[in-house]
Order: sequence, then structure tokens, then C-alpha cells
Amino acid sequence: MSDAPDSPTPEHAGSHVPSGTPVSVDAPQFQVAARHPRRTEGVVALAFVVALVSFAAFGGAYWQNANNYLLGITLGVALAAFGFGLVSWGKYLMPRGPFEEPRPQMATTEREREEFVGDFATRGKIAIERRGVLAKLMGAAGAVLGVVALFPLVRSLGPKPDSSMYHTTWRKGARLTAIDGRPVNTDDIDVGGIITVFPENDVGGALSQTVLIRIQATGDVVTGPGKETWGPHGYLAYSKVCTHAGCPVGLYQELTQQLLCPCHQSLFDVETGANPVFGPAPRPLPQLPLYVDSKGFLRAQSDFDEPIGPGFWYRGGSNGSPK
Amino acid sequence: MVAALAVASVFFAPHRAVSSTSTGASSAVLVDKTSPNRTAQLSLGRTLYDDNCSSCHGTSAAGSALAPNLRGLGAGTVDLWVSSGWMPLANPTAQPTRKPPLFDRAETKDIARYVASLAPGGVPIPAVDLKGANAAEGFSVFALNCAPCHTITGAGDALAEGLNAPPLHGVTATEVAEAVRSGPGNMPRFSAFTVSNRQLADVVDYVTRHIEQPSNPGGLALGGVGPVAEGFVGLFVGVGLCVLIALWIGDRNEREDADEHGGDHASPGGHAAPGAEPEVVHV
Amino acid sequence: MIDKLFGWIDDRVALSRSGRHLLNKIFPDHWSFMIGEIALYSFIVLLLTGVFLTLYFVPSGSDVIYHGVYSPLKGQTVSEAFNSTVNLSFQVRGGLLMRQMHHWAANIFVGSIVVHMLRVFFTGAFRRPREMNWMLGTTLLILAIFNGFLGYSLPDDLISGTGIRIAFSITESIPFVGTYLGFFLFGGQYPGTAIIPRFFILHVLVLPLVIIGLLAGHLGMLVKHKHAQFRGRGARDDNVVGSPLWPTYAAKAGGFFFLTTGVTALLGAAVQINPIWQYGQYYAYKVSYAVQPDWYMGWLDGALRVMPSWEVHLPGHMIPTVFFPAVLLPGLTFNLIYAWPFIEARLTGDRAEHHLLERPRDQPLRTALGAAVFAFYFTLFGASATDVLANYLSLSLNLVLWSFRVLCIVVPLVVFPVAYKICLELQSTKGAGQRKRHNVVVRSAEGGYATVATPEYPGYIQPELDPVPLDDVDLVSAMARDGDDQADGVYRIPREYR
Repeated sequence: MSDAPDSPTPEHAGSHVPSGTPVSVDAPQFQVAARHPRRTEGVVALAFVVALVSFAAFGGAYWQNANNYLLGITLGVALAAFGFGLVSWGKYLMPRGPFEEPRPQMATTEREREEFVGDFATRGKIAIERRGVLAKLMGAAGAVLGVVALFPLVRSLGPKPDSSMYHTTWRKGARLTAIDGRPVNTDDIDVGGIITVFPENDVGGALSQTVLIRIQATGDVVTGPGKETWGPHGYLAYSKVCTHAGCPVGLYQELTQQLLCPCHQSLFDVETGANPVFGPAPRPLPQLPLYVDSKGFLRAQSDFDEPIGPGFWYRGGSNGSPK
Repeated sequence: MVAALAVASVFFAPHRAVSSTSTGASSAVLVDKTSPNRTAQLSLGRTLYDDNCSSCHGTSAAGSALAPNLRGLGAGTVDLWVSSGWMPLANPTAQPTRKPPLFDRAETKDIARYVASLAPGGVPIPAVDLKGANAAEGFSVFALNCAPCHTITGAGDALAEGLNAPPLHGVTATEVAEAVRSGPGNMPRFSAFTVSNRQLADVVDYVTRHIEQPSNPGGLALGGVGPVAEGFVGLFVGVGLCVLIALWIGDRNEREDADEHGGDHASPGGHAAPGAEPEVVHV
Repeated sequence: MIDKLFGWIDDRVALSRSGRHLLNKIFPDHWSFMIGEIALYSFIVLLLTGVFLTLYFVPSGSDVIYHGVYSPLKGQTVSEAFNSTVNLSFQVRGGLLMRQMHHWAANIFVGSIVVHMLRVFFTGAFRRPREMNWMLGTTLLILAIFNGFLGYSLPDDLISGTGIRIAFSITESIPFVGTYLGFFLFGGQYPGTAIIPRFFILHVLVLPLVIIGLLAGHLGMLVKHKHAQFRGRGARDDNVVGSPLWPTYAAKAGGFFFLTTGVTALLGAAVQINPIWQYGQYYAYKVSYAVQPDWYMGWLDGALRVMPSWEVHLPGHMIPTVFFPAVLLPGLTFNLIYAWPFIEARLTGDRAEHHLLERPRDQPLRTALGAAVFAFYFTLFGASATDVLANYLSLSLNLVLWSFRVLCIVVPLVVFPVAYKICLELQSTKGAGQRKRHNVVVRSAEGGYATVATPEYPGYIQPELDPVPLDDVDLVSAMARDGDDQADGVYRIPREYR
């Protein structure tokens, strides 16, 4: 074995090896790919030594309950060095080839197919025709099994869609309540303030969550016809569930009085009834009608007047009357 | 230009209707400690105000076509805008960004107290007491009230119409408290009902300790912007490295082309191919 | 001892009868055939690290009070799932590394499947007889994406919880059955009662089993067909040219597994992924800005963002806007991918069996079409970061979104002709993509300039060898001589010529 400078072997160029004839073991295809096999051996050996040391270091790091970085670096270096050594061995220190093997065509001959299909069909036909009743009974039993097997999927996984698709837990008179259970009084929120509120009996509810925003100090805020009394004392309350994909619309841009959905950036104009002004949301956020009780607490006049949240097949048109 | 200035002056209104707020920002945490030599400080603040602020906000701080009214905003609001370096403005048509403040702490407070002395109301400069603050409660309040805009890691993000919720890195405890109570720019105001003084101290504690120095035991935090940055690293570093390794392991030769080159081998080592006709181009 | 054991087994199952053939299985040497292996290996990493994680993860949505070491969570009410994920990150030895490796491996898994599919598509490797394997692979991609989403959701943190909420909305947007599907999947109206344990069993058992089964079929079909290969000396439709499984490819592929795992481990060590302790527990009423899914769902998120707010109203019914980008788009996408081999066969009329691959430039129409379609999805992927991009580039969010709405249409329209033209140019350029030789420009005495060609690189002088049929030769005695008196190989291009 020599480390002599390479002697390119252009004389092998184009040498065709006829299939079937034994090839000399001196053929270049059997030579290793490395130019300097000794040197390559050294590199591979070094890689395995690095791997060995790093694996041991990983063990030590694990034993010492080291931090994530040390654990990962030792493990990663060890694995990479091990892999590098192994690949180098295969790539540089094994016969460089190329070699070949034959590949059968996938297409079958007409005759092969006829024989197989003939046997399969004929045998089956005879078996079934001889015992026709059995075959039909078996089919019937299997069909029942198939239908019955669907039952657990249909009936035990969960309830059928119910009225929660159309109504939330907001009721007439429900007090607007903060997440820690305190009811909101008209004096509690500054102009330009926002708070997430729930009906008092459903604090933390995923569907009843509502944003309460105060846009002015006094007077009713009217967002549309028929909603003259819905926004007392400068307060407006909207469902916090986005009408696009259901994310909590918790991002209030106070200066422009817009609610922005953090998920897909739908923009709702608070003053005009949370109409969508930008982005993919198709409908306004439903508004919760409010009133102020004798002690100054904010209460809901009723539930939202349409289904909250994203659309679904059984939601009617834009006003969402249930089917 | 006029429109731009109008937009700017609207934008920079710290609050559109502060004077009509129904609740004062009264609180145990938010107490302005009156110092003994009050008069001297006020006159110092007045000098600084007249020199640096009055050209836009007016000598009586009542605002102008260029800048909003500052009367009734309180010392806390003014302190926040000046100590954060937002004021004086670098670019009158863009949202102000954090920069080194023009005045030191004492000067800033003097200005703030001078402006506050012109009219009653508004947010005082808070003395934030973090003794016994509960960062866990602060985290929870932060997630409900702050994360929707500033993101849960405090990295900040873009709002509509070219504005943004700024990152929360490098903010001081006082600034956090002032911002929560005064609602600068596009930020809503959080009353003592929404975020109690106790909770405000908790939030300040969480922001100044855990947003400022997040626990990143897993390595590079990638700016705290979540899966977008992670995806880029996964694709371009992870998959990219693996593909590069495959390039090394595998064969890159385009065997088909090798045949085309087979005919014109030249002797290695020489610079000129023997017998090659140089193509001469006269210029 | 081993001989005896092997003999005992061999006597009962006749391993050696078919085994020798297997040792000689030829793998083509071209690098692009190894991309699928990245997916295979990262899947193995997923299985190994995943088993570790299941030892500590508690798949339950029940409330517990966090009492672990991370102080900003102490005393907070969290779910068992969240609690156990934080604990396994902070209090289990190596737990964080395993979690991060698992997550990175998932990113690499899906990513390498996509790159692998691109290779298969652009080289025409999906043509007969490999149509079924193309469809199997597409199914694996879908399952990988689904399982990635499920795993991402399991920690029950603020960001993934928002993703589940969107998933519910997408489910209920499906006409007729959507609300039923949503209720059955979640065990009731959102947020349901059962989602964490159900996602868990799907994530760790059902989908992995299906993936393993289909993967076995994918590889089995590969063995049956044998590898496709690029044209080259000796490569024909009825053979495979390359290196044998044993020992060359075993060493290369085995080493590649460790290298892939090593990359995953280094990423897990140095780059933090999904720090759920910073996100906190998910509550339906809490949300963070800059919420995105993992990248492989990103194109769907991007589609949700750029989709205009169109809703279809029917008497008593509606088709919500999310249906189009989140149900219809992926449905069309994957069905188109499934059908492509047959569409192309119909268009070209070429229904013959192919084992020799095409270079992308030689099929400019297919290449341009593939590039345009890929560019479309890549643009959608970019659109999932509209807010982050707007923030980093200090641009208006509205402007960025509108740009992406336009780009989704413009980019594919631009990419198609450009890719087509590049293909034609490459076709007519000899040796494109090959290393160029230097040209020396000499000035003559008369002031003229001459270009003198330097010699070819030795890499070009290197003869392309003819493949040797392995069944005919004695590889053993050849290998036994390796290193004895062998001249240095001629494989690599000497550095001095680069």
C-alpha cells in the first residue's frame, strides 16, 4: 500500500466489462475510493475516538445532571462523529464500484395474469355458487358488523351539536363579571379601557367571553338601529370570539378604537358595532346589549342576538337564525 | 403634509379624553411623593419645559396644531413619554420608538411635575413597591391583559395601519406602571378595577424580571417570536444541514455529461492545451 | 456461538437462500436519493425521543396547581398536561433535550418529506410503475402533518391551545357534518372535555402505527421496484447501478442515521424550541399575539390570513369563510398531488414503465408547473408571518397582508415562465451545473486578446467506469486485497485543481 501520488488510470476509461465474464479483482471498480487510504483510515479512527470520548462525556454530563446545552452538545458531537466515521468508511474505504444488478420489469405477461386471475375467479365462483345461501348470510352478517362498528364512533364520542351552537350562557340580568368574580360597576373602567368579562355564573367560559370597552365617559353609544340602549355610559360589549376562526379578539387599539384579532389580523371597528374593516373576518362581533342596574352594575339585557363565533353549516344567513 | 401632521397629532394624543375620565388613578402604589423643595424643582422643570417642549405643546401646555394638550394628563404620563425617550420626537410622522432619554431622571421628574402642576388630574408618577410582589400572579394577569398585543414573550408585534406594540425589553418598573395606568398611544388604559394595584406590582415584577431576563435553558431564544423563527431554523438549518450531508455522502457527478467531456481531455498540469487554436479577438 | 445460532435459525426459515440477494441490493450513489432517508431517520428519532417523553407526560386536561421549579408559574392552576410537560423539561434529567430533539426532529421529518417529494416530482420518479408509491408517500406526508399538529397541541400551552381553537372552527366549517365532527372529536362544544387524552392516543399510538405500516409498504414497494436512477454509463431500464447494501451502503446509510440524529441533538442543545413555560397554560379567553402553528401548518395559516372575507349564504345554511382556505384548499392540493401521475400520463400519453429519471430541465413544462405550484404554497407559508414581517420590516400590517394577497397570484405567474425559460437555457448550455474550467486570456504583441483553454479538471479525466454485475464477481476476494497493493484511488478531485 503506497501513499504515492495518484496515478490516474485513464486507460480504464471506457473499458467495457461484458456481462457474464469474471472481472479481474484488479479492476478499478474494486479499488477503494480514497486517494490516500492510510490517511483516510486515520481520519475515520479519529472520528470514532471523538465519538467515544463524546459519548463518555455525555454519560458524565448526564450523571452530573448537566444543563441542556452540555448534554446536547456532547450527544450531538458524539453522534455526528460516529456517523461521520461510519460514512467515511463506507464512502472511501470500500470498493468504489459502480456495480449493478438486474431489475425485473414490473409489467406481467398476459399469460401470467390470465392464469392467476383465472384460478382466483374460477375457484371463488365455484365455491360461492355451490353454497349461495352461505355466502349471502355471511355478507349480511358482515354488513351488520360494519354498521354496528360505527355506533361507538357516532354515539359515544360526544354529544350531538346542541343549542350551545346558537346561545351562550348570557341571560337577561346577568352581571358582567371579571375573571376573578367581581361584578363591573359603571365607575370601574376608565375611558379607553378594556376588560374581559363573563356572565356571573360562567366565569372563564370559552363561548361567553366578552370584551367590555369604554369609549366615552357618558351617554349611550348607539352602534346601529335597534341598538339604541345597548351601550350605556359609553360602554360597549362584544363577543370576544372572532367570527373568522374563533380566536379571542383581545387586542384593542385604543387610539383608533379597533379590535384586532391576534391570529389572522381581522380588524373590527368598535364604535360602529365591531364591523370588520380589514382581514378575513366576514361578520361583526356580536354585540351584547347592556343596561345599568340601580346600584350602577352593568348587566346584560339578554343573550347575544345571533350565534357567536365562526360560521358553521347549520347557522342560517347573516343573522344566524337557527335552523 | 398637513394631513400627516394631523395624523401625527392625533396619534400622539396620549389620551383623547383624559380630562373626562370618571375615575382618578387613585391608588396606594401610585403616590407622588412630594419633595421638600418643591418650588425650586418646579421652576427647574418650567425652564426645561419652556426650552424643550413648549415650541410644540405651547407655553401653557395646552397643545397646538402640532402637538396635543398636556394639561390634566398627570406627571406619570409626562414622565413615561420623556423617560422612554419617545419625547422629544425623532420623527413627527412615525410612532415614537424607544431611545436614550434626553434628560436624566431628576430632570424628567421636574418636567413632569411642572406640567402636572398646571392642571389637576391624570396619572401621578408611581412609586412602585415590589416587596412581596408575586410574579406568578403577574404572569397570569400579563397573559390576559398584555400578551394580546405585546406577545406572551414581550417581543412586541405589528398593529394595524403601520403602528406596533413595542417590545417590553429594557423598560423600567415605573414606566410599566405608568403605561398600564395612562395607556400611551394606542394602548388601552387599565383601571385599578381591571388591574388592581396589587396586580400591577405583580405585573411589573413579572415584566422587569422574567420578560427582561427570560429563562431560556433550551438555547438560543430566536427573538421569542415562536414557530415562525423555529420553522426557518428547522427548515434551513435542520433540513439544510441534512441535505448538505447527503450531498457529501452521495455522488454529485452528472454521469451523462461526463460522456460529452470525454473527447477533449487535455494533459493535466499544462496551462495551454497543446494544439488548441487560440481564438484571437482584436479590439 | 453466533454461527450455531444463525445455523439454527437458518434451518428453520432459510434466511441464507434469499439473504445473499439482499446483500447485493444496489443503491444508486446520487445524493438526491438520500433525502428520503432523512425523513426515515428523523422518524426513528421521533419514535425514540417520543417514547422517552411518554414516560413523563400526563395526558390529562385536569387542573392541578403547579409546584415545580419555574417560579413565574408557582401556584398557578394549570392542566396536568401542561404541568407534566414543564416538569419533564425542568426536572427530568435530559428531559428538555429529549423534548427539543423531538420537536426539531418533527420539523426535519416533515421538511425532508417535502424535499424528497420535490425530488421525486421534478425527476419524474412518480411515473409508472411508481404511481402507487407516490400516493403512499403523499399519504405519509398528510399523516406526518396531522401528527405534528397533534403533538404540538399536547402541552396545552397558550399558543398551541389557540391552534386547537382554530382547528375546531375549521372542523365545524365543513358543510353538513362539520359541527357533528367537531362535537365528536372534542367530546362536545368547544373546548370540550376530552381533547388532550384523545390527541395523545392519536399522536402516540394510532397515527404512528399507521405511519409505520405505510412506511413499510413504501419501502417494500421500493425494494420490489428497486431504485430509479439517473442516466449514465451503464444505467438502463433493466438494471440498477450503484453500491451494494452490504457493506458499502450499510456503512453509508447507518452513518447517515447517526449524522441526522447528531444534527437533531445539536439543534436540541443550542436552539430553544417551544418554551411553553414562557407561554403559560392555555385558557380559552387568553391569547398571545404572534401566534403561529409550526411551519408545516403555516401555509394553511397563511391561506386563512390572505383569504378575503367571503361567506356563502344559502337558505338556512352557510359555508363559512374558513372552509375555503382550510378545508377546500388542502383537499384540492392533496388530491391534485395524488392524481398527478395519472394526469401527466394522460397529457403526455406516456404510459410506459420508466426506471431512468429525467433531469428537470428536460421536462420544462412539468418543472415550470411544479415550481409555480410550489412557489404558491411557499408564498402562503410566508403569509403566515404577516404580523412578524410587518413588525421586523417596520411596514404597515395592512400593506403586508395586501402584498401577500397579490403575491399569491403574481409569484406563481412569474415563476412559471422563469422556470420554463431556465429549463430551456440549461438544455442548450453544455455542461451547465458542472465545474467550469479556467480560461486564460492572453494579450498578443499586436494588442489582440486570446482566450486559451486550460486543461480539464482531473475529475473530468477520471474515466467513468462501467458497472460490474455483482452476481458475477467475487467481491470478497477483491475486498480482501483492499489495502495490500492497491494504487491510490482516483475518485476525488485533487485540491490543487479546484
